[in-house]
Amino acid sequence: MSSVNVLLPQQATILDITEETPDIKTLRVVGKEGLPFDFMPGQCAMLSIPPVGEAIFSITSSPTCRECLEFSIKDVGKVSSALHSVVPGQQIGIRGPYGNGFPVDEMKGKDLLFIGGGIGLAPLRSLIGYCFAHREDYGKIDIVYGARSPADLIRKSEVQESWAEEPNTDVHLTVDAEFPGWDKNVGFVPTYVSDLGFKPENKIAITCGPPIMIKFVLQALEKLNFTPDQVITTLEMRMKCGVGKCGRCNLGPVYVCKDGPVFTLEELNALPAEY
Amino acid sequence: MAERNLDSVKKIREAVSQDLLGGRISQVLGWEKGHYWWQSRPLFARSEADLEKLTWDSFCVINLSRYLLEELKDHEKVGVLVKGCDARAFNRLLQDNMVKREQVILYGLPCPGMLDYNRLCEEAGAVPDGIVENNGTVVLKTDGGEKEVQREDIMLDKCRECVYPDPAAYDQMLLSPQGEREAAERFKPVEELEELPADERFAYWEKELSRCLRCYACRQACPFCSCRECFVEQENPRWQGRAYQPSENFMFHLVRAYHGTGRCIDCGECERSCPVDIPLQELNRKLIKDINELYGDYEAGLDAEAEPPLLTYRPDDPAAFSEK
Amino acid sequence: MKKIIAREKLPELWKSLSELGPLFLPVQEGPVVLFQPWQEGAETNLDTTNTAVPPKDLFLPREETYMQYRCKGKELEVIPAEEVKPAVLFGVHPCDLYAVEMLDKVYMEQDPPDELYKKRRENTTIVALSCASPDPFCFCNDFDVNPAEAPGTDVMAQLKNGSVLLEAKTDKGKALLEQAGDLLEDGSGEEFARREVKTADFNLKLDGLPEDLKNRFEDPVWDELFKSCLGCGVCTYVCPTCYCFDVEDFGHEAGGERFRCWDSCMYGHFTEMAGGHNPRPGRKERVRQRFMHKLRYYPETFGQIACVGCGRCLRSCPVNLDIVQAIQALGGETVEQR
Repeated sequence: MSSVNVLLPQQATILDITEETPDIKTLRVVGKEGLPFDFMPGQCAMLSIPPVGEAIFSITSSPTCRECLEFSIKDVGKVSSALHSVVPGQQIGIRGPYGNGFPVDEMKGKDLLFIGGGIGLAPLRSLIGYCFAHREDYGKIDIVYGARSPADLIRKSEVQESWAEEPNTDVHLTVDAEFPGWDKNVGFVPTYVSDLGFKPENKIAITCGPPIMIKFVLQALEKLNFTPDQVITTLEMRMKCGVGKCGRCNLGPVYVCKDGPVFTLEELNALPAEY
Repeated sequence: MAERNLDSVKKIREAVSQDLLGGRISQVLGWEKGHYWWQSRPLFARSEADLEKLTWDSFCVINLSRYLLEELKDHEKVGVLVKGCDARAFNRLLQDNMVKREQVILYGLPCPGMLDYNRLCEEAGAVPDGIVENNGTVVLKTDGGEKEVQREDIMLDKCRECVYPDPAAYDQMLLSPQGEREAAERFKPVEELEELPADERFAYWEKELSRCLRCYACRQACPFCSCRECFVEQENPRWQGRAYQPSENFMFHLVRAYHGTGRCIDCGECERSCPVDIPLQELNRKLIKDINELYGDYEAGLDAEAEPPLLTYRPDDPAAFSEK
Repeated sequence: MKKIIAREKLPELWKSLSELGPLFLPVQEGPVVLFQPWQEGAETNLDTTNTAVPPKDLFLPREETYMQYRCKGKELEVIPAEEVKPAVLFGVHPCDLYAVEMLDKVYMEQDPPDELYKKRRENTTIVALSCASPDPFCFCNDFDVNPAEAPGTDVMAQLKNGSVLLEAKTDKGKALLEQAGDLLEDGSGEEFARREVKTADFNLKLDGLPEDLKNRFEDPVWDELFKSCLGCGVCTYVCPTCYCFDVEDFGHEAGGERFRCWDSCMYGHFTEMAGGHNPRPGRKERVRQRFMHKLRYYPETFGQIACVGCGRCLRSCPVNLDIVQAIQALGGETVEQR
């Protein structure tokens, strides 16, 4: 049994920074020797930048990427804003991994339907990369990804080029309104999911995005006859410790940081809707 | 059991039930008995059955006006039972434009002063089984017998020092007025503190405030703390640190006190609410005293029309800072 | 090992024990009694009922700096705080130790253990004092708290006719009594008096309450119960089983520290996310969260209601909204009472 204070961060260094959209940057982060820790898709890490503080972010790189961890961070709060001003070579604090991660074993042999909106692609991307790396374990992969405008889509070239070229994989992009030069779908993500008419047989749907999108995606999936155990989502709540003690992300008898953030819709339905 | 003044309770119930059941208001804020005879807790009455629980006794200390901030979001018009301090609190909220006068019916209850549970126990030498109130005296009943004490001696400090027990604002006065009380020596502790050298004053407050848990009960109970967002919660910049350090304790309590300058109605709810008994009224009274000395006597909340001294400018206002 | 000491000799005992590390015991601080480190001339009060604030502070301090940081150019250096020093907690009542047992489950038994808490627990020697006379707010009878026995204590003590009888319950307790040496007299002939403390008995019907609450998240009770709540944090801070905390940095760009401190689910900012979304936006949601955590969520995980009947919320809530009122409103009282 180690006797290390789990709240202590370790040093990590920023390798480089990609500007994804006007308010989203992707940071590539490396520990003292390679990855700071092993993890599974869907897990999170606490990033800290003193004296501003700590906040929790989902890891967007796949565990099969051994060079670094990647975080796609939207500038919405104090810590995320501070992380937007870091430079390559700068050290930050990191601790983790936290949470349960996606049930990659239970998903084996199934077709997968990923539904992401905006920054919500971040946790999905880790799983998508993992599934591509273990391509033979999974069936058909559909990825529906949308944002307000083409400029708000993250990992654009990866999504449109690399992912679309993977075997037995279809990528469906959509934006909320018409934009010059945009030749893909126009419309909200939930509507697009309905229009695409996915069949629930032997399929798992995994969705992440803004709460309002998730709400309507869940309705759309229900109409397509997906059962609650076939739908997986990941929750976002305020967290301070990441280890199920500090109380912020307490949702009924679970702590989202520890028992989540990944839940099936069946599990979520049994919890208070306070997220 | 605390003996209730049954006539008064009946009178109050009749008055408010007319308005509630007649549909002029949709809720009455009053008091009901809590677990113990020495506790009366807030009652939010919306039906005749609720009104059965309404009480008026010597433990209705909780200031109800403060609840208007929330209740008027859900109700067009409500009734509130107001003691002297509750009415001044109402005027305070009115002056801050936090409530509208026409949304509220005030039922005035001249207040005899509320009793202090700790004093009752001290005087009785045990937790009394109950009390009987006579004119000016109270009989404390214990296993060991009865003891008659002066009512004044077992009142809450804040009530002993109250000058205006009669509601300054009301639509109906339900009971007979108490009349203005003799100006108590409420500034005496402040004067004693003023006598001390600065470092001793600092040490005094550092020690008193060291007990602060930062539970913000003082703020939440306070009728002048009606800001929709308090500086304590502001994130950018973060004025109030979360650490339990003397500097953070001073930051919170001094900024809060200054925000109350000329606005504190001296109801003492802050000090009563404090779980570790920090003498917060001394801070507020220092500022009340300063305002009185600098701008002439002013009693916040007494007259909703009177301009608070720090919200007005007169060419002959003292300018102590610039003159020094 | 039983020892006895005359009450007037206690200051000598305390002086001796305080050589082991800070000795926390009930001290009269102006109008309230708090657990404070003993120092020469301290106005101790062993006859008090419950202290205004529970002793959870010793294990989960109000504020605890656990690292320093230094930034130089692009570099960040993290320096863990120094090791926790031994301490003694003297005169704690059984109910408060029943509560510590509940905190232990969260902080030590549930994976991963919290090393900060664990070290403080392990480094603290506890002398519990059996409870002689409850105050009217105590209702531990509703929770089967034995006023004469304290779970997990190292030494059990009892006030007895001008003396204090002490019995070591653990090796740590033995070591503590040995430290006192000749100050203590042999107490092997002495017996602990049986204590039967009659507290306020609200006849709370607690069996089955956690189960019953499973389907009552949307119960109309919540629409009414929260109304008097002022939204302060008194109940959580005086509660011996509340354990939420916050983590903050203090300092500037070049260096400073990171600490954790008490926080409260009754505050709006507690769950407010960057961007403004708040899953528990109002007093209703927060009051429900607090009581549901005590009465339903904690029991579901740990098999017991997170309350010991210490009565502090009954005494300290400025508007008399306490857990008894909540339990009663939720129907957790006997049929006769209703």
